[in-house]
Amino acid sequence: MHYNKLLFILIFFLTGCYQNETMQKKDYIFGTIVEVTIYGETEDISSHAIDLVFKEFRRLHNYLHPWEKSIIQDINQSIKNQEIYLTQDSEILSILKHNQELELKTHGYFNPAIGKLIEAWGFHAEQLSTDRPNSNLIDNLQRNLPHMAEINIHNGYINSKNKNIKIDLGGYAKGYALDQARKILNENNINNALINIGGNILALGRHGDRNWVVGIQNPRKPSSIASIVLNPGWSIGTSGDYQRYFIVDNQRYSHLIDPNTGYPANNSQSATILFPPTESSGTLSDVYSKPLFIAPEKLKYNLAKELGIDFYMIVMADGKISISSGMLNLIKWHEKIDKKNITIY
Amino acid sequence: MTRSIIKINTKDHKIAKLAAIAIALSIIEFFLPSPIPGVKPGIANIIILFTIIKFNFSTAVWVSIIRVFVVSIIIGTFLGPTFFLSLSGSLFSLMFLFLFKNINGKYFSVISLSLIAAFAHTTGQFLIVRFWIIPHDGIFYLLPIFMISALTFGLVNGIITRSLLSLNIK
Amino acid sequence: MKKLIKKISQFINKIQIGDLFVIFIFIALTGYLSSILWNFPQGKYLKVQMGKQEIGSFNLNQNITKIIEGPIGKTEIIIEPSRVRVSKSPCTKKYCIHQGWINQLNQIIVCIPNQISISIIGNQSDYDSLNY
Repeated sequence: MHYNKLLFILIFFLTGCYQNETMQKKDYIFGTIVEVTIYGETEDISSHAIDLVFKEFRRLHNYLHPWEKSIIQDINQSIKNQEIYLTQDSEILSILKHNQELELKTHGYFNPAIGKLIEAWGFHAEQLSTDRPNSNLIDNLQRNLPHMAEINIHNGYINSKNKNIKIDLGGYAKGYALDQARKILNENNINNALINIGGNILALGRHGDRNWVVGIQNPRKPSSIASIVLNPGWSIGTSGDYQRYFIVDNQRYSHLIDPNTGYPANNSQSATILFPPTESSGTLSDVYSKPLFIAPEKLKYNLAKELGIDFYMIVMADGKISISSGMLNLIKWHEKIDKKNITIY
Repeated sequence: MTRSIIKINTKDHKIAKLAAIAIALSIIEFFLPSPIPGVKPGIANIIILFTIIKFNFSTAVWVSIIRVFVVSIIIGTFLGPTFFLSLSGSLFSLMFLFLFKNINGKYFSVISLSLIAAFAHTTGQFLIVRFWIIPHDGIFYLLPIFMISALTFGLVNGIITRSLLSLNIK
Repeated sequence: MKKLIKKISQFINKIQIGDLFVIFIFIALTGYLSSILWNFPQGKYLKVQMGKQEIGSFNLNQNITKIIEGPIGKTEIIIEPSRVRVSKSPCTKKYCIHQGWINQLNQIIVCIPNQISISIIGNQSDYDSLNY
């Protein structure tokens, strides 16, 4: 027994001399948990860099907030009052232009102008609804569905004739923040990091002599359904019905509204996509998971092709999994998956 | 009121007496603090061993099972995980006791039997923990502690039982 | 003192030769298994399991408190750089809390009533972060 104590003390001292390879910090921003892990830097450098990243996240949180005071709300207010919003802010102008492009590219499945619909379903609040909204209200809003294209974006001002437009960048902001984080880390000479914003993850560099490995959540259990290796620069994003939702009469209503119906899309439990390294890969890994989640089953495959998404996995409403062959090769299952429950594209 | 058809014989009296002592010992043990969680001297096993040597195996089985059930009901862990741990440990123990029950003789004494029973008990409990309660290999880290305890208390209990047997109590 | 020695030798005399053999076998078995199971490499991640399910793997290198839901209530754990312990648990005996800090590979804290196990796992975690 004394021998054990000695060994214990020895190891205790050894761990003191041991340099930790990764440094990870977490915070609560964008209404979710954000986590940055840096590999291979000293604690001071890592800590400082992560603080810069979190500072930027907080700025973006306040800048782009979907329903609290933010520049987006100011613009929404102007549009509602049919006023012109004067601005020289190049960042917001380029963000809004980007969102216009994305709505077209995704055939309208990603539509940030439908803030009023999302609000009607109660998702513009911390506490979610306990009841369905009035169906007349929803149908009305859906019939007069606004589009980003109806917003005039010029260098100097923004306006729109459609006062029903309410911009909600909830499906865009976290991805955008990922790209911003990458910029900041690169500027600070950090090349190996893993940035996780509410589940949207961007991998920079590698974890030492191996790549970063990311777990994928099971939409219906508090455990991982699989894990996947992210090559340097790749990002992963998931849209799911298990993060923000409420249940009424045994029916689940999630925050992902189908613009074509006005109701929460319910043909899928989750849609996960991988995106290769590009300048806005963080943004796109966040944005493009939405159309794959919302679009009807028959259209998902073509939509993925059109958007250039080669790696995706969708857990359908009945639990069956549709997965691209590329994704299947990369994935490592953590659960027993019945072969007949998988469709490979 | 009709008279009971179940005949109670002297064997049952014996079982009841022995079980009562075993139960009492278990409950005393329950209230004694143990330095390491899960490690118990298992003094009720003295009774079981005593019964096997002095009387017969089937009597010991009865005493053992009754002890497990009654103690868990009294303590309040009946049908809980600790109950199943106790049950599986006892069943495993009895299994090996059956195999070696005739070991007592020139070369081996009840001390060997006690050691075998103690290790079997530990094994039975670990199997339940590994395959049902905590299905994780890390649990084996705790095994050596329980083995040392089984070794120690198996020895001590065995010696105590031996002394009891030589005192010739009825 | 003499009486004590006499008592002890009386005790030991009860042990027969076969018994010694059995004792030796079990000591050898215990020693052998201990040497295998008690190798002490440092662990980097902790894995939390509730019943059969894996709740997740977490980096040991952080300062954070986590709460895990089990069948009889919430168990709270505190993770500090390189070590973890259970701080609160709904069980009666609180063995899990008394075990204190663990930090070595394959070390495990268990709360049987709440079916929660926290174990230190090796260099390779199941994953570095969770996409959800």
